[in-house]
Amino acid sequence: MRVLDAEGLAKHFRGVTAVNGVDLAVAEGELLGLFGPNGAGKTTLFNLIAGAFPPDGGRVRLKGRDITRLPAFRRARLGIGRTFQVVRPFRALSVLDNVLASVPSAAAADGDDTEAALALLRHVGLAARAHALAGELTLGMLKRLEVARALAVAPCLLLLDEPLAGLTSREAGELLGFIGSLRERTSIVMVEHNVRLALPICDRAVVMDAGSVIAEGAPAEIRANPEVIRAYLGEAAE
Amino acid sequence: MIRERATTRATRTVRSGLPGLLAAAVLTALAAALPWLGVSSYARTLAYYTAYFLTLGQAWNLMSGLTGYVSFAHGALAGIGAYAAVIALNAEWPMAGALGAALATAVLASLVIGATSLRLRGTAFTFATLFFQELALLVVRKLRFTGGPGGMVLSEILPVWLPYVMMMALAGGASIAVALLCRSRVGVRILAIKNDEVAAAAVGIDATRLKLVLFCASAGLAGLAGAAHGLFAASLYPDVLFSVDVSLVALAVPLIGGVATAAGPLAGAVVYVGIREVLQSIAPGLHVTIVGLLLLGVVMFMNEGVAVAIGRAVARGRGRGGRKDARVAAGGD
Repeated sequence: MRVLDAEGLAKHFRGVTAVNGVDLAVAEGELLGLFGPNGAGKTTLFNLIAGAFPPDGGRVRLKGRDITRLPAFRRARLGIGRTFQVVRPFRALSVLDNVLASVPSAAAADGDDTEAALALLRHVGLAARAHALAGELTLGMLKRLEVARALAVAPCLLLLDEPLAGLTSREAGELLGFIGSLRERTSIVMVEHNVRLALPICDRAVVMDAGSVIAEGAPAEIRANPEVIRAYLGEAAE
Repeated sequence: MIRERATTRATRTVRSGLPGLLAAAVLTALAAALPWLGVSSYARTLAYYTAYFLTLGQAWNLMSGLTGYVSFAHGALAGIGAYAAVIALNAEWPMAGALGAALATAVLASLVIGATSLRLRGTAFTFATLFFQELALLVVRKLRFTGGPGGMVLSEILPVWLPYVMMMALAGGASIAVALLCRSRVGVRILAIKNDEVAAAAVGIDATRLKLVLFCASAGLAGLAGAAHGLFAASLYPDVLFSVDVSLVALAVPLIGGVATAAGPLAGAVVYVGIREVLQSIAPGLHVTIVGLLLLGVVMFMNEGVAVAIGRAVARGRGRGGRKDARVAAGGD
């Protein structure tokens, strides 16, 4: 069953085409990698799916429901969780309150909200810092906090925007392991620059360049795709 | 930076718990009982004005302190409440109806301001409220049924204690409501909006609706404060009621005491009334300037507000005392 079905998504900013008729489908439990060079349109595509701004063309369906014109908060309530390229925690709130602030979607289990939030923090390894201010955390911790906050909406689709950016290789390895484990509870689309690290854990990958999809397939197919090698991976992938 | 610190403070200090709420309720009851406790009318008047500015400050705090959307319209909203209540009473409405009219007109005004500006970010809202403050004065001065520039008087003579007790109940109720709100899940979501509206939307928070509801509640409270004050003053003059000074005081009280806290506006109201009272005999009319300078000083050197600064100093004092006791107990002193 398809969780996300985006068709012909397009977005232009002052005459510049950021996303040009992109189709994107994500199956239940799938971890899809979204790769491409800077300016390829990956984050814009994310914002169109999450509802940060409306598309100039195309439509987005979540579990068959057309959500193209819904604002971001409604999409979150329907089960789209997201993180940001540059972390946006509620810095002046405690780590626990960051998670408690989320409005759970209908898919969320009933029960003690605080206990559920603490369980999420335990899951991302931040339970010991639950009462610290988010603004006091390291970047690696903030990335994990954003994932916990996104998971608190009980998502059926989790959008991770460059989760490894700025992390040490040890932190990146830990976070990737954690992301891989999330497939049991949600479908995931992950934008990432570090193809070497991220591609192996993906079920499927999509590569964008200049606002369009230039390749799509299993990780092995992507690595071997000549157009991808030319546009993005270059000699490093050889 | 101030916004962030204010929110930090809110999450750290507003979770005062039941003892704090009970203390607030007892204090309110005591203050309301002053007319029957043989306290001088001078002291009662000071208590009344402290409660009036506390209520206006909490009304501002409810919207602007918690969300960071700065309002300059709370003076006008209180003025609208005062006129609505007095007009209704003069038309021989019952007291409950008059208060309902004050509440409804202030909420209606907030809906007009909010619906047009709350979809935008803070600055647009601030300008919309400032524009509304000035527009309200112009309109009230022009209308015949508000008495025009000469204002109007309350035709019915009410017992002196009635508006006094009403104001005490409003001040206490508003403070307890702000404390409870800050400790609730909704309070956390409001503070999340203040921190980052885009991130708040991404976790399912309907920021526009929440801000509009808060602004309506805040305006309703300001309208009721204005109504009680209208009954207390019994004479309404548009140039006084709709002066931007009232809005500035509503803003200064929580800023001086500490925004996004329940205790901050109380400290701010006590400081403001104290300054006003001292300066009234020494340099009449200068208190707004002095309060402005005080505000500047608080923002520059004590930007979490007086209440939080005092709380920290007390905690530090206790910490030093505790350490000294420990040293004595260990035989080290």
